[in-house]
Amino acid sequence: MSIASLMISSCGSMLSRQWPQPTEALPIRHELDTVPFYPQEAYQCGPASLAMTLTWSGIQVDPEAITPEVFTPSLKGSLQSAMISTARRRGRVAYPISGVEEMLEEVAAGHPVIILQNLGLAWYPVWHYAVVVGYDLEQGIVLLHSGVTSQKRLSQRVFNNTWARGDYWGLLVLPPSRLPATATEHNYVSAVLGLEKAQQWLAAIEGYNTALARWFSSLSARMGLGNSYYALGDLESAEAAFREATRQFPTNGMAFNNLAQVLWEQGKQQEALEAASRAVDLGGPLVEEYRRTLKEIQKGKP
Amino acid sequence: MRMIRQAAKPVSILLTICMLMVTVPYKSSFAGMIGTETALDMTRGQEARNYLKGIVAREDVQTALIAQGINPLEAKARIDSLSDAEAIDLADQIEQQPAGGSALGVIVGALLIVFIVLLITDILGYTDIFPFVKKHPKK
Repeated sequence: MSIASLMISSCGSMLSRQWPQPTEALPIRHELDTVPFYPQEAYQCGPASLAMTLTWSGIQVDPEAITPEVFTPSLKGSLQSAMISTARRRGRVAYPISGVEEMLEEVAAGHPVIILQNLGLAWYPVWHYAVVVGYDLEQGIVLLHSGVTSQKRLSQRVFNNTWARGDYWGLLVLPPSRLPATATEHNYVSAVLGLEKAQQWLAAIEGYNTALARWFSSLSARMGLGNSYYALGDLESAEAAFREATRQFPTNGMAFNNLAQVLWEQGKQQEALEAASRAVDLGGPLVEEYRRTLKEIQKGKP
Repeated sequence: MRMIRQAAKPVSILLTICMLMVTVPYKSSFAGMIGTETALDMTRGQEARNYLKGIVAREDVQTALIAQGINPLEAKARIDSLSDAEAIDLADQIEQQPAGGSALGVIVGALLIVFIVLLITDILGYTDIFPFVKKHPKK
């Protein structure tokens, strides 16, 4: 027993430190040549890194243009949450990643990765954002757009030490048509949900479609698609999305509830009543919500 | 200190009003709808369960289970009886293991099989290795 737990705990700690061997998906070296470089001004590594990735993704911005959104003057730095929300407000999927392996796979797939390093020590942190634009496993180096240096060559060892102190936090800024190479269904749908929160409905629709192209039977992505169309006022497309969800998940009340609401708002009273009753019959943890929807529909016109 | 306290009250009232103004219109325009965030939370438990069942269905894992005298059907049934939170927790534990990360499940190493088998025997109550596996008292 102790051997088993020892084994597992040691694997866990090795996970992010390990530099992988090249594979088919991970060539021995890769360099991105389409990521622009913006040299940073004092403390402006956050806006500079974000502007580089945004511009790469097709949104032309200068670091100065996004500084007010990203930079917190009192901290002389930029918070990770501000980086994420700024990307979302421009209709880009902000997808956090973690660890060396994911970072390398994303670079190999052509995606620049923003990383948060601590160039100082744990008790004297010097936080710094940079953009990984390449690597060479044979020479043991990572290429960074960092500070005032474009394509700075950093040894794996130094890179690892500084990134480990930043908790291996990385961020992708992608157009919603592009799926991260290391995407998982839940994390990707969560990232697209961020676009809904930023009220970037068109980008959210595109992102959910990207998710559905990869995970056709993702209920949450299908619900998100319907909800985003609904928010745009496109009730017909919303209805189509929820209908597909009810077809794929005939025992889940959520899709029936939303379908009922959308039908009702289109004046299709009878169909709406049927869908809402179906949701109530199916029950589940959200049954109170379904009852409320049914009651509203029974009252008559929206 | 007193000045801060005196100043804090009107500021916090102001903040509360601001927050209400931000959230209320957003919510009311979506009355009757189940939001994507809720949907995501709701589906997560089911996805985790499917993921665990997918692992139990693997031939190499089944062989290892049978070798330990465990009926894979019983293992599947037990996965169904996990709460959402437990299933998510377990799926996360497996996903964090090296080589187990991909949802496609590339090559499960020998180490990972040991881990998974022990995890399943833990759920079944044969073993008691992982503190994060909640024990279901026998009825």
